[in-house]
Amino acid sequence: MRERYPGYDVLAKRDTPSWNDQTRRAIDARMAIPLAARRFFSDDEWPTVQAICGRIVPQPRDRARPAPVAAMIDAKLAADDRDGYRHASMPPQREAWRRGVRAIDAEAQARLGARFHALAPDAQDEVLKAAQRGEARSDAWGDMPPAEFFRARLLHDVLGAYYAHPSAWSEIGFGGPASPRGYVRMNFDRRDPWEAAEALPGREADARRDNASVR
Amino acid sequence: MTTLVRPRTPEAVGVSTFGEWPAVAGGDGGHRPGLRERRVAEETVRDAAEERAGRTVHLGAGVLALSVLADSALEHYRGSFHNKAMVAPLVSATLSLATNAPATFGARAPLPLLDAVQAAAAATGVAGLGFHAFNIGKRPGGLSWLNLFYAAPVGAPFALALSGFFGRCAVRLAGDSRTLFGWPAGRLLAATAAGGLIGTAAEAGLLHFRGAYHNPAMALPVTIPPVAAGLLAAAALKPAPALRRAARVGLVATAAVGVAGVGFHLFGVSRNMGGFRNLSQNLLNGPPVPAPPSFLGLALIGLAALSLMEANDA
Amino acid sequence: MKPTPGVTMLPSDNPLTTPRATNGRAPDVFRPGAWTPMRCWSDDDEVDFAIVGTGAGGGALACKLAEYGFSVVAFDAGPYWRPLEDFVSDEREQSKLYWTDERIVDGDNPLRPGSNNCGKSVGGSTVHFAMVSLRFRPEWFKARTTLGYGADWPLDWREMWTYYREVEETLTISGPVTYPWGPKRPRYPYRPHELNAAALVLAEGAEALGIPWSATPLATLSAPRGLSPPCVYRGMCVIGCSTNAKQSVLLTWLPRALKAGAEIRDLAMVGRIEHDGRGLATGVRYHREGRWRFQRARNVVVAGYAIETPRLLLNSASAKFPDGLANSSGLVGKNLMVQANQAVWGLMEREIRAYKGPPSLALTEHWNYKDDGKDFFGGYAYMSQGPLPVAWSSVLAGQRGLWGQGLLDAMQDYNHQVGLKIVGECMAQERNRVTLADETDRYGLKIPRVTYSYCDNDRRLIAHSLAFMRVALEAAGARDIWDETDDTCHLNGTARMGDDPRTSVVDADCRAWDMRNLWVCDGSVFPTVGGVNPSLTIQAIACRTADRIKTLARRGEL
Repeated sequence: MRERYPGYDVLAKRDTPSWNDQTRRAIDARMAIPLAARRFFSDDEWPTVQAICGRIVPQPRDRARPAPVAAMIDAKLAADDRDGYRHASMPPQREAWRRGVRAIDAEAQARLGARFHALAPDAQDEVLKAAQRGEARSDAWGDMPPAEFFRARLLHDVLGAYYAHPSAWSEIGFGGPASPRGYVRMNFDRRDPWEAAEALPGREADARRDNASVR
Repeated sequence: MTTLVRPRTPEAVGVSTFGEWPAVAGGDGGHRPGLRERRVAEETVRDAAEERAGRTVHLGAGVLALSVLADSALEHYRGSFHNKAMVAPLVSATLSLATNAPATFGARAPLPLLDAVQAAAAATGVAGLGFHAFNIGKRPGGLSWLNLFYAAPVGAPFALALSGFFGRCAVRLAGDSRTLFGWPAGRLLAATAAGGLIGTAAEAGLLHFRGAYHNPAMALPVTIPPVAAGLLAAAALKPAPALRRAARVGLVATAAVGVAGVGFHLFGVSRNMGGFRNLSQNLLNGPPVPAPPSFLGLALIGLAALSLMEANDA
Repeated sequence: MKPTPGVTMLPSDNPLTTPRATNGRAPDVFRPGAWTPMRCWSDDDEVDFAIVGTGAGGGALACKLAEYGFSVVAFDAGPYWRPLEDFVSDEREQSKLYWTDERIVDGDNPLRPGSNNCGKSVGGSTVHFAMVSLRFRPEWFKARTTLGYGADWPLDWREMWTYYREVEETLTISGPVTYPWGPKRPRYPYRPHELNAAALVLAEGAEALGIPWSATPLATLSAPRGLSPPCVYRGMCVIGCSTNAKQSVLLTWLPRALKAGAEIRDLAMVGRIEHDGRGLATGVRYHREGRWRFQRARNVVVAGYAIETPRLLLNSASAKFPDGLANSSGLVGKNLMVQANQAVWGLMEREIRAYKGPPSLALTEHWNYKDDGKDFFGGYAYMSQGPLPVAWSSVLAGQRGLWGQGLLDAMQDYNHQVGLKIVGECMAQERNRVTLADETDRYGLKIPRVTYSYCDNDRRLIAHSLAFMRVALEAAGARDIWDETDDTCHLNGTARMGDDPRTSVVDADCRAWDMRNLWVCDGSVFPTVGGVNPSLTIQAIACRTADRIKTLARRGEL
């Protein structure tokens, strides 16, 4: 699909009044997470986790700064940062992830005869859709409902990581960090000069020019 | 017969700032000169006073135009110039400023051009009133407090209209300092300046109400200028020296409010989040720095009106 | 005790691991690196009031009681933030404000307590609340008698009106010049904020349907006040205000409380209320700096919100009170009431960019005040919305099951998305409750199990609201409209107040029927919830409770 915010990079505002020191520190740390950083998942689980993240948020291949989604989830689990609630049918998040990853691999084996990460993207999606629909062929799920795992654990954690990354913010035209400078122009169809310019069909060059001067 | 540009008197040459106000017209020295001698002296003083008054009106109109220029530049930049017409007040106020400013120092452009520029400013201001009223009306809620607070302000184009009007007055004063548009010059100026002050104070009142009068100083522009306007109007109706003196005091105080207001508003900008470092936001969201000098401009015109009344009544 | 001179921000100053309010000083939230003196009590001092929780209820009460001359120690399990220095413009980082200790959830409509309704911070969830500050409709205080559902409160709305005013002044609410609904109220201290496009959509929809709408009364400044600057419209209110424009409990009641001599203990988790042989509370057992301690107190106030409050009362069970404290009615933990938080979402041709400005700048209380034409009891308000990216992706995934390219594509419409969301009154049901699970937390305390299911009336209210808002959104020009059907907000009702010890936990003064020196001061005491956000009412009740305590003390009836 066409690029909605061509040339917009939320990081261009890093050294403007839109970012304060503590935000720079936090986002710098996030940007510095290597794609392969891992403390929680095992060697065996890791390719599956990465492949799952790649299908839930298929990032453009040529992206300069891909969001380290799998590594961010790994960090959350390593620290065991929880969400404040857990459905009675679900084990705690670490156990849920371990079991879920194992089960998705087992489903891939059972349905398509290969481990999840070895499948073609369409086949991977098929396995994930089955989990989303709550269909379990493997007993690796145990008493954990696949649909609940998929919705409340997997999607929740993958999206929570991806949309906390500047590359995702730039992709959707979000203003990103905003303190001390917030926004001035609040009405319909108004953007501050430090916001993303949306490309109207056929006017991509205009948007690209405006986005180059976002600061 | 009057000449377009009067011979410069020694007194007039030195007058270039509003700090040097003419003393009470007709004020006499220690000795008692003869009648004829006194008349000539009075004529000279009066001519000088009228000359200064005309220039002061130019100065006032110029200050108004400058205030409008800076204010509309900021506000229309904030509005992203989404309507091409939003450039109009900038152009108009710039021209008004460009003609009023030299005229303040006695260097006038050809009169018809000068007059046309001022008329255009007045017309732009009046058109702006219409645009801004339309902008208020089309928002949800129509004529509501919310829209009066945040939609296009009515007061700003009003100031441009006043600037144009007073600019035209100043042009005419150069030819005939006694009447304007068929009215007694000083009184007409006084009455309109008083009206302008009331309108500008109303605008400040509205916007300071929006700011909940969180600082006691915010009461100044809604108390001092209206009082000054009342005294000025009274002085226009009744030629009493005491009233004129009181009006003069009120107008000088109003001028001070206009100058101090810039300082207060800069302070307001500085205490918004991020202060001056966050200027790209705070200059637009903070109190409008260019707005208060409108009071200065109108006060100058009011003072000029008083001088004219004094000169003409003498 | 005097503050240690020369010590400001140490590199090891991590408010999540090391308490800041110690040694006679507490953080000055208005000045980076600065401290404010704090009176300190020893555990052996029998203080007048030990208050558990420093949110809307506990924070306001601590301030008022300290100002009335009582000795007060207020405990909070969360950190003492310095918003100007600690708050990051980032959803993920700011989850540090939420109560993310695990709760087990079940029932037909399991809740998701945490980010949207549970704070773990000094100042409670007001540190991340959406600042919507509304008064109850007067009739709701006598819902049973006047409207035929729920229960009557033992409070009079006219009395509450004066306390609402006190809270509105304390929080310097920025609100409309005149409010379209309910009996006359004094003008809000500050003027309303400018509307963003999302709010203008609500206004356009309401005008098309011919119903009133209003700028939302909000606890964020539209002009400077004291050391707080006005709002910069950064739109991150629900992840914590980093500019101090938000008038949270942390910035309003607590600095006053410190000045009046209250002590605030951060990172202090109260695990148990102890009592003596006569059945009177003697103080609280709390965990701080790695060990369990006991603070003696003449009175104990529980203000932990509608999950932690019943949890503490239940966890304090003893041989004398085997079912937990203040529970002779059996109602502690029961009648948990959330508010329905359903939404309709659609796309506008025009750019909305709802991330700018406070999320709910406009609202309508039409269906709170209109009684005919409804097939349900209770009411709802609906408000404009401004979800941040993580929250928004979670709605798309959770509600529409989107992921993969479909989700990325839908997220591309972020800046054109617009929504209307209700705060809807849910009925009290005894089956909706907080109980103790078998699991324990890091303090060794039993964690809560939260059971929730809608009743038929709740479902009818939700259906009505979704249908109505859909029409409103269409009328404003939105397309591709869909419903978000399963969100809830706010927590109330697990220690309800009433006139009868058999059917309520506390009396009108928030005083436990069973233990006369035990008080509950938070949303738990609500017998009904109404269709407005509860924080203003919680604070108003806290102010009233403080006044009542002062009166009772004067009469020697404490």
